[in-house]
Amino acid sequence: MRARLPCLLLIFLATAAGGGAADAASVRGEIVTLLSPNSAGGMMTRYARMIAPYIARHAGARDVRVRIMTGGGGIRGANALWFAEPDGRTIAFTSVTTLILSQLAGSEAVRFDATRFVYLGRAATEPRVLTVGAGSGIMSVRDARALGRPFVFPSQGTDEDFYSMAVLADVMGIPLKVISGYDGNADTALAVIKGDGDGHITGWSASQAVIEAGDEVPILTLGPERYPDYPDVPTALELVDGASLEAVQAIVNMLDMRRGFFGPPDLDPEATAELRAAIGAALGDPQLVADSVAQGLPLLPSPGEAEQIKIAQITEASQHLVPMLRAALEAIR
Amino acid sequence: MLEAIVAGLAALATPQAVLFMLVGVSYGLVIGILPGLGGIVALALLLPFTYGHELAATLALLLGAHIATIWGGSVTSILFKVPGAAKSLALVFDGHPMTRQGHAARALGASATAALLGGLMGAVFLAFTIPIVRPVMLALGPSEYLMMALWGLTIIATFSEGSLLKGLVATCLGIMVAFVGMDPVSGTPRFWFGNVYLLDGISFPVAMIGLFAVAEMMTLYVKGGAMVDRVSGEQRSTVLDGVKDAFRHWGLVLRSSLLGLWVGVLPGVGASVGGIAAYAQAAQTSPTPERFGKGAVEGVIAPDATLGANEGGGLMPTLAFGIPGGESMAILLVAFLAMGIVPGPRMLTSELDLVFSMVWIVVIANLLTALIGLAISSRLARLPALNPNVMIPLVLSVCLLGAFATRGLIEDVVVAAAFGVIGYLMNKYQYSRANFVIGMVLAEMIERNLHISLGLYGEFFLFTRPITTAMLVFIVVTTALPFVRRYRRSRASAAGNGS
Repeated sequence: MRARLPCLLLIFLATAAGGGAADAASVRGEIVTLLSPNSAGGMMTRYARMIAPYIARHAGARDVRVRIMTGGGGIRGANALWFAEPDGRTIAFTSVTTLILSQLAGSEAVRFDATRFVYLGRAATEPRVLTVGAGSGIMSVRDARALGRPFVFPSQGTDEDFYSMAVLADVMGIPLKVISGYDGNADTALAVIKGDGDGHITGWSASQAVIEAGDEVPILTLGPERYPDYPDVPTALELVDGASLEAVQAIVNMLDMRRGFFGPPDLDPEATAELRAAIGAALGDPQLVADSVAQGLPLLPSPGEAEQIKIAQITEASQHLVPMLRAALEAIR
Repeated sequence: MLEAIVAGLAALATPQAVLFMLVGVSYGLVIGILPGLGGIVALALLLPFTYGHELAATLALLLGAHIATIWGGSVTSILFKVPGAAKSLALVFDGHPMTRQGHAARALGASATAALLGGLMGAVFLAFTIPIVRPVMLALGPSEYLMMALWGLTIIATFSEGSLLKGLVATCLGIMVAFVGMDPVSGTPRFWFGNVYLLDGISFPVAMIGLFAVAEMMTLYVKGGAMVDRVSGEQRSTVLDGVKDAFRHWGLVLRSSLLGLWVGVLPGVGASVGGIAAYAQAAQTSPTPERFGKGAVEGVIAPDATLGANEGGGLMPTLAFGIPGGESMAILLVAFLAMGIVPGPRMLTSELDLVFSMVWIVVIANLLTALIGLAISSRLARLPALNPNVMIPLVLSVCLLGAFATRGLIEDVVVAAAFGVIGYLMNKYQYSRANFVIGMVLAEMIERNLHISLGLYGEFFLFTRPITTAMLVFIVVTTALPFVRRYRRSRASAAGNGS
């Protein structure tokens, strides 16, 4: 025991010295921990691992180490970041959409306020799309509204697609029947192809094969603009106005922020500027761009400042959104 | 079509493809043997190394590794009662009793051969049922998945010998553990006590590691002596006996393979459910169901044939619709897209060469796995006879490391240890651990599909969906069959005594 005491003291002092150094805001020469609240083999972690060395290079950091912290659908990692020191040495990368929706819908496990995180840049996103079964007879949102019965929406549970559809149905006057409990996108897609459900929301690339095969038809894009491959498919923003537009804009903003980097609240301004610049430079690095093409992980960067503005818009619209999201949750419970 | 078959094989005849296949299979066997890790982890770890190589070679690496993990997982289930992955669970029920009786080599031989035969049937199915699989997939839905889960649940009677009440208590406990975390329908947190770790629920592989592996090592420590009393080399049967067993029960292999194909084709039905359902049908259609759970070789053959065939079936929706049939197939789909392959019905017309390359990969990987497996089985069979002073720390460290590796959470190690204590106590007081895990694995599937069926088809869906009704009748008949047989036998013996 006596022999151990000096060792413990040394470790304590070393840790305290490390903690003291945290006062310096720059991440140059430091080790940055990049929390990935997603599974080790998942798409999000693959993005994190691919980009991390480039951030280190452009920030002049000693290393950017990816730390997997799964749990609660990303909530555990986000909770951890909420309580992290705002010195730039701990940042995170995940689906910002999921975090914001978890918070707005009143998830009991959430300890953070997603609008107070400091957003450092978006790596990638792709529009989500509302597709319907080819045999459903629905060709547009107007058809979905005039079915004479509720639009049957197979859902995985309370994910971003569920909340997005709840808001769309509310503002567009589509009577909705959610059948939740499906086991992933494959299961909801098959339900739509079979005719068990009318339509589902999915990522554009995931829907590519079934659309090209003629099994599903896209009727609405949930992105800021029409998708070049399908110029006749309108965006949700085109079909609403007034307060409804504000709500849909908030949803589109959230979906648009999908794969993003962010730091704890009150992140040191110097570290914020450094990390935003490094992430921006990393995502523009020709070598990373080549890697992303080779690995099939497309990039669509957006600067941290732009992402922060979207967060402000979401906060403004949350007054309208929150009742809709909570009503949707109550309805399936 | 013949041209495509030949072209598919020719694409694999390059040095790179051959090398990648060998590397993939060897790597898959190692990953499969490590508890808690399975095909999903094997594929996820390989993905970053798959860029810039020949297309067929890359597919050989990925599919070869994935297929080899299946038998790897069976090995530890049979030898140490440690399921290598969730889907290898059913191998524990009879495989390990065979090991204890000195038939480890035979069990491993039967396991490798059944997986090979199942895999070959899966490949043949993939090749020749392309035109009919689509209507089959479209005909089945959540109510049929529900029936399949219920079928799996009927097996609890097999493990409840002595006390049906204890069997039911164990199953209910398993179901309650499965309820921890967010419910799959509304996302409502259940039994989480404000702890974010519990929001994701208790990991099934972690619970299995605890219930079986850790508990078994505790029992071994308390009892003293080796896991298998016989000294090394004194096997009562050989690997060849196991190979013969698999061929002798060809009907069972065929039935189980068809079940595996079906499970693979349907997204939303996991292979772990398939393994249990295969075991259920083997026990229920056996003339001597009382041997199950005590070392019946059919209890090894059925799940392995199902798991082997599952992969061919799982590739089908991935290729035909671009809809992955399971988590591993979802990772494979990511690799396909990265390689510029866009799955969908066009694959079955314009990319038929590639489809047949995959068929050949399934065949060759299964053959390689079985050959390696049969070659090393007799040596592996000696492992359970190791001195407990070596075995206990070795198995415990590998298992607890495996528990950590499943999600990278230290809490999982604590949970594995806690489940070890639960498993030890259940074993001591004769509450079936098999029933516990069956309840755990089937609970979510039943809850999910019951809810969807009620929402889609209304409360009388059991009678308004013809296939569901037919499956329900089948379940009732196969469940009743052992009881009817037992009744007949007791009547016959009573009549014999009377005369």
